[in-house]
Amino acid sequence: MSWTVPVLVGLPTVVGAVLLVVRRAPLRNTLVVVASVLVTAASVAAVAVLADRAGDGGAFFGLPGGMTPGYAVLAMDVVLAGTIIGFGVAHRRWFAPLLALAQLGIAGYLELGHHLPHLEADRLFWVDNLSLIMILVIGVVGPLICVHALGYMRDYHRANPMVRGRRTVFFCLLFVFLGAMFGLVITNDLPLMHVFWEVTTLCSFLLIGYTRTTETIGYAFRALNMNMIGGLGFSLAILILAGQRSGVDLARLTAEPVGGLLLAAVALLALAGLTKSAQMPFSDWLIGAMYAPTPTSALLHSSTMVKAGVFLLLRLSPAMTGSTVGTLVAGIGLLTFLFVSAVAITEQNAKKILAYSTIGSLGLVTGCAGVGTAQAVWVGAMIVIFHALAKGLLFLVVGTLENRLHTKDVEYFDTLLSRMPRVSALALVGIAGMFIAPFGVVVAKWAAIRAFLEVPGWTGAAFVVIMAFGSSLTIFYWGKLLIKILSMRAVDPVERALESRVTRFEWVTETTLAVGVVAVTALLAVLSDHVVSPYAAAAFPSGDAAAGVDPVVVGVTLLAVVFLPILAVSAWRRGGFDQADFYAGGRSTRPDHAMGAALGATRSVTLRGYYLDDVVDGALLFRAGSLVCGLALVAMAVVGWVVAA
Amino acid sequence: MTPALLVLVFVVLGPVLGGLLAGADRIVSARMQGRVGPPLLQPFYDVGKLFQKRVRRVNPVAEPLLIGHVVFMALAGVLVIGGGDLIFAMFVLALAALFLVLAAGSADSPYSNVGAERELVVLLASEPFFILMMAAICKVTGESTFSGVMDSPVRVAVELPGALLAFLFVITIKLRKSPFDISTTHHHPHQELVRGLTSDLSGRQLGWVELAHWYECALLAVFVVLFFNWSAPLGILAFVVAYGLEVLVDNSTSRAKWQLVLRSAWAVTLVLAGGNLLALYVVGV
Repeated sequence: MSWTVPVLVGLPTVVGAVLLVVRRAPLRNTLVVVASVLVTAASVAAVAVLADRAGDGGAFFGLPGGMTPGYAVLAMDVVLAGTIIGFGVAHRRWFAPLLALAQLGIAGYLELGHHLPHLEADRLFWVDNLSLIMILVIGVVGPLICVHALGYMRDYHRANPMVRGRRTVFFCLLFVFLGAMFGLVITNDLPLMHVFWEVTTLCSFLLIGYTRTTETIGYAFRALNMNMIGGLGFSLAILILAGQRSGVDLARLTAEPVGGLLLAAVALLALAGLTKSAQMPFSDWLIGAMYAPTPTSALLHSSTMVKAGVFLLLRLSPAMTGSTVGTLVAGIGLLTFLFVSAVAITEQNAKKILAYSTIGSLGLVTGCAGVGTAQAVWVGAMIVIFHALAKGLLFLVVGTLENRLHTKDVEYFDTLLSRMPRVSALALVGIAGMFIAPFGVVVAKWAAIRAFLEVPGWTGAAFVVIMAFGSSLTIFYWGKLLIKILSMRAVDPVERALESRVTRFEWVTETTLAVGVVAVTALLAVLSDHVVSPYAAAAFPSGDAAAGVDPVVVGVTLLAVVFLPILAVSAWRRGGFDQADFYAGGRSTRPDHAMGAALGATRSVTLRGYYLDDVVDGALLFRAGSLVCGLALVAMAVVGWVVAA
Repeated sequence: MTPALLVLVFVVLGPVLGGLLAGADRIVSARMQGRVGPPLLQPFYDVGKLFQKRVRRVNPVAEPLLIGHVVFMALAGVLVIGGGDLIFAMFVLALAALFLVLAAGSADSPYSNVGAERELVVLLASEPFFILMMAAICKVTGESTFSGVMDSPVRVAVELPGALLAFLFVITIKLRKSPFDISTTHHHPHQELVRGLTSDLSGRQLGWVELAHWYECALLAVFVVLFFNWSAPLGILAFVVAYGLEVLVDNSTSRAKWQLVLRSAWAVTLVLAGGNLLALYVVGV
């Protein structure tokens, strides 16, 4: 059991280090593919080994031979802070280095002053079913995205010759990041978890700034600043906990509802979770992060890293349930969901739409974690699984489209079904998985409403109202995107040939993820009974049992999920497009989308989606949401201060 | 009646009820306009004829999407009647409506596209209400299924007068009645030639649209019965009155802009339904 940690954390890190010196593309391709298979195999093996013991509260273990990290944690803190300070000085940005210094100061004070109660060597790591879910998400989706990146980055650099290729660094960071993520989700020792936490922050920072233009460096620092605020919260929580009886043991801290100083520490950790998951008022950084190469967005900014935030919040859920802190966290998450869903309606950039939708889904999980019942965290864990698969797939598809169509503007994705039928089918699986599948979102919303109906007092009513409006907003932007993809017209052979240039790496990874989405939908009941329900029951042993899965619900949603992709595939199989012309008010029309105009001219038809500009002001709503959630955060700080005093 | 029997009744009799309503609608509307109007069964003759006509296909995906529209609409009704979760059924209802939007949008022509986008606005405007309505009904009765609510001693309409008022407002949108018929005018009295959503549909494709609409009407009737759960005859009477009001409004107003539809529907939903729900929590149900 103790070997799992060195393998899960060590293997990707070593691969990353090796990739740093591999400059030849064919060798790198082979290495990345082999390493990806190994990482997936390692994660599956780890889950298989741990599965028996992870149920019912989880298993604790240490490093091989009972080793303790000792001063290695502090050494890592020094390296991380040094790196951040170095970049800050180089770019004349002082906020992040300042926060890094503060965190280093806290770590140094605790470690060198011997104020830190170290955990027993065999309690360093903690694996329960939630960790297993995360390990599988990281170990299956992560490597797939790395392989996809091989094809994407080649085309990306062909299309952007001005960007200096630094693919050695790029792939190194992806794998190092995977190692840190594995560490993060199995660690019980908070100072050690903090190190992994900061490594993911740093990887995100470096990957956003990959192209090293003034613009992307600005966004990279924005992400760094906001995540460092959360990191400082994490450090302060450790500082508080160091003086408490429960110590820096995450499992002990979150075993039951807490009060006093412990609740203040939980609030600070929740702050870290909120920043990492880009909840308002910290949502800005994730939108800026969309300027990173698309595999980065898929891996860090939708499937895994931002999930670390909600993972921590789900962990904290039993500790903050019933408290004002829990209610405020839930409020922030649900309001974020509402506001970003409205903003997404006004957005035209495909990656940003996906980013807003990601923030919204994370908001739902945050809401569930804050509400803190067995049923709510059950929903939260389900959303984590479906979102990782479906949103990862959607980002990869957008990456493929971006390299073929040279745009991220959804208005140019119209008639996609005619032009790129196979890519369309994959996109449809992704959208169906996101928005129709169980816990894609539709059923998640339903289950969440069910959970919120049980919340006593006016907050329960407010949560249900927020859900009702927020979920309708998501229907609007997904519906708009579906119209674009499903629309059809006659295309010439040149356009049809676009699809043949999609790389093998992309086909394999995207198809695998699509199969995964459908498989998980079909196996929902198994997943619920054997993985998610035990987790929820263990997290809330006193509460009602988590909801089971209604076979009717599974049947209906499975039908809905496969309907559109099958439709797309059958339309593609039928080939050709020998249909009647569309109606254009009596004017002559052509199947290739032109219509007669005055004086015998022919004009091509351009159709635009609705962005509801006169009713919904995206920028204003974004600021308003940030303000409201910011106020909630201030309230949380006040509550934390009061309970601590 | 057992759930299975109820489901069968809905699948078979739902469209009959919807068709009869459409027929009655046309007669009443005609009388309002000083005409005699068609026979009561005219909608059935019309749809029968639509299914005999040759289809002029604009693309290969529109018709499967329309069949999906009918199937999911019927499924929403089946879920409600057959003992499925009421709130879940609302999401299936929204999904059904979405399929019609996609069928229209897939034509990729100017008129259909405007209709499809506007129907999305209709969905956006009406969907929050239906979710809130069901959540409120489930909250006051403590039940989650149709039979549970019907057997509950709680009188739903008495507890949820705000939601009932909002329902009257929102079904005008859902039935695509004037002044809220922004995506298409669904009813014959308006005599329009180009009808947004359905511009590029023909023959039996239009038949599917009509059939789904009948299911939808039947489902809305079921919702009214849910409000008057203590007395089915009262519920039916309430539905007749409500539908009569809809026809009157339909014939006496002109089409509103989509902005107004969206704003007013959300305001009504938030104030009446949201307020109603909040009040229940405050008094502590």
